Amino acid sequence: MSTATEIAEFLATAPLFQNVASANLEAFARRLREITLRRGEVLFRQDDAGEEMFVIHQGTMVVSKPITGNVEQVLARIGPGECFGEMGLFAHSPRSATLSAETETTLLVLDSDNLHRLTETNPEAAAAFFHALVLVFIERLRESGNLVAEVTRWGLEATGLDVEKTR
Amino acid sequence: MNQPVAPRRAKLELLVRRDDQAFEVREIPSALAYLGSRPQRVTDEAYELAHLESRVAGQRNWILKNRDTDRFLLLSDPERFLWEQMDGSISLEEMATAYVLTYGEFDFEIIPNLIRKLQRAQLLTMTPTSRLRRVLARNRRRPAVKAIESVLVLLERATVSSRRVHPIFVRLYRWGGWLIFTPAAVVVALLLAVAGLVAGATVIKNADIFAAGFGEHPVAAVLAVKLLFFATVAAHQIVHGLALIHYGRRVREFGFTVLHGFIPTFYVDVTDVFMAPRRARVVTAVSGAAVHLVLGSLCFLLAVRSPQSFTQAFAAASGMVQWQAFVLALYPFCFMEMDGYHVLVDLLGVPTLKHDAVAYIRSLFRGGGLGRMNREKAMWLGYVALSTASIGAFIAFNVWLVFKAVS
Repeated sequence: MSTATEIAEFLATAPLFQNVASANLEAFARRLREITLRRGEVLFRQDDAGEEMFVIHQGTMVVSKPITGNVEQVLARIGPGECFGEMGLFAHSPRSATLSAETETTLLVLDSDNLHRLTETNPEAAAAFFHALVLVFIERLRESGNLVAEVTRWGLEATGLDVEKTR
Repeated sequence: MNQPVAPRRAKLELLVRRDDQAFEVREIPSALAYLGSRPQRVTDEAYELAHLESRVAGQRNWILKNRDTDRFLLLSDPERFLWEQMDGSISLEEMATAYVLTYGEFDFEIIPNLIRKLQRAQLLTMTPTSRLRRVLARNRRRPAVKAIESVLVLLERATVSSRRVHPIFVRLYRWGGWLIFTPAAVVVALLLAVAGLVAGATVIKNADIFAAGFGEHPVAAVLAVKLLFFATVAAHQIVHGLALIHYGRRVREFGFTVLHGFIPTFYVDVTDVFMAPRRARVVTAVSGAAVHLVLGSLCFLLAVRSPQSFTQAFAAASGMVQWQAFVLALYPFCFMEMDGYHVLVDLLGVPTLKHDAVAYIRSLFRGGGLGRMNREKAMWLGYVALSTASIGAFIAFNVWLVFKAVS
């Protein structure tokens, strides 16, 4: 189990916390809970309920969506310093994808109660955190667009469909 | 000025879950999915095909009608050939091979163009995986089926291959491989075959040499014979590759794979030989099998000249396995698409003989009548009858050999 100081040192290297003043990082660290996943373990599945977001401390997580039977499409791989689960934290909406540990993974968990307390006690740090989170959303949107284009291209190539000649 | 960059092939990453604690991620390139897909035409009741008389000499056309939409398509003779293949059991890769064997040429656009045309006319669907895999996927909840599927996946992934082997084969050919394709080599092989046949007959008469020679090490004996055979399969494939070089064609790929998920084997891509004359195709097919003939004969000769020992029994058993491999590789009537089968369909000009014959027999079992006999039906019946009888005889011969060896 890492100490609050060790977690604060790690947060200083994560893009999500880069604009948070170092003096406030330990306050953040104290609000985070650490959990460990075995390799292959599912953290949550698409449509599960959940109100926490996660920051990866160590290891790699695979983001996937069910396609058919036991087969899921890999949407992304995320590693140390990256976050996920923010939809549950802010919108209390069901999980939009399944998250599984590709390697043994340590996660830092931030739930809505702790986020509220942090916002009340340290609004400046919370504002920097939210700003970084918006940048993450923008990047995710861009990646989603690229993925849709890639999947469409795969489908066209795999079926041999020539759109230019198809009417 | 910037050169246009060729677009990379698209790939999809799929996560396949074994249970809640384990999964694997597979990368599926679009090209692989395309070649492995099996176009499935609509049911027989949903379409009509009619021959269109043409006044242009040598040109035959066909009219394909979708009965549901009343849409008509004009098909050329090669397109009709491909349409007949699209029964959901033949992959695009196999279809392309059949096309080359039938027409002696290949147009890289004909299959995609026809597929687009048929899809637009709602006459076709694409099925991506084999029937066995579909059945396994449907019954995945059963632990035994799931285990079989996992083993098949693991074995299929055991393929090791290289597409940069052509220069190696060229060097092998220059360093002595060319000798295999000289008249002297053919004479030596024939003399060895005759001597080996005589020696083999002597060995079979004295079947007790197996029990005496292998004695208390039957497992080691079986493993040693299998290992030698496995090595000769590699030699078989290398000789196929050398034959390609001999005829100035290109060796596209050489590798190791597990055929159908349970037969470990080496393979060489000899598709470029379709561009060569028929003689080259026949020599390429036969030369690989001849490796087993030569080695089998040498083994029998060694067995006859050796004193009673493990070596003698090993040589005798290997001789039998090699000769059987030679016969099996060249004998076309065994439901397997080996070298001899490819020579036969090449000579007959019927690349889908096995598929058509099996489909015809199935239709008979389902209650379809024999109908009016013609040359095509007689050929299908002959192929199935000969293949069934041959497999029965092969099994009986091996059972007899085992009984003779242990009694």
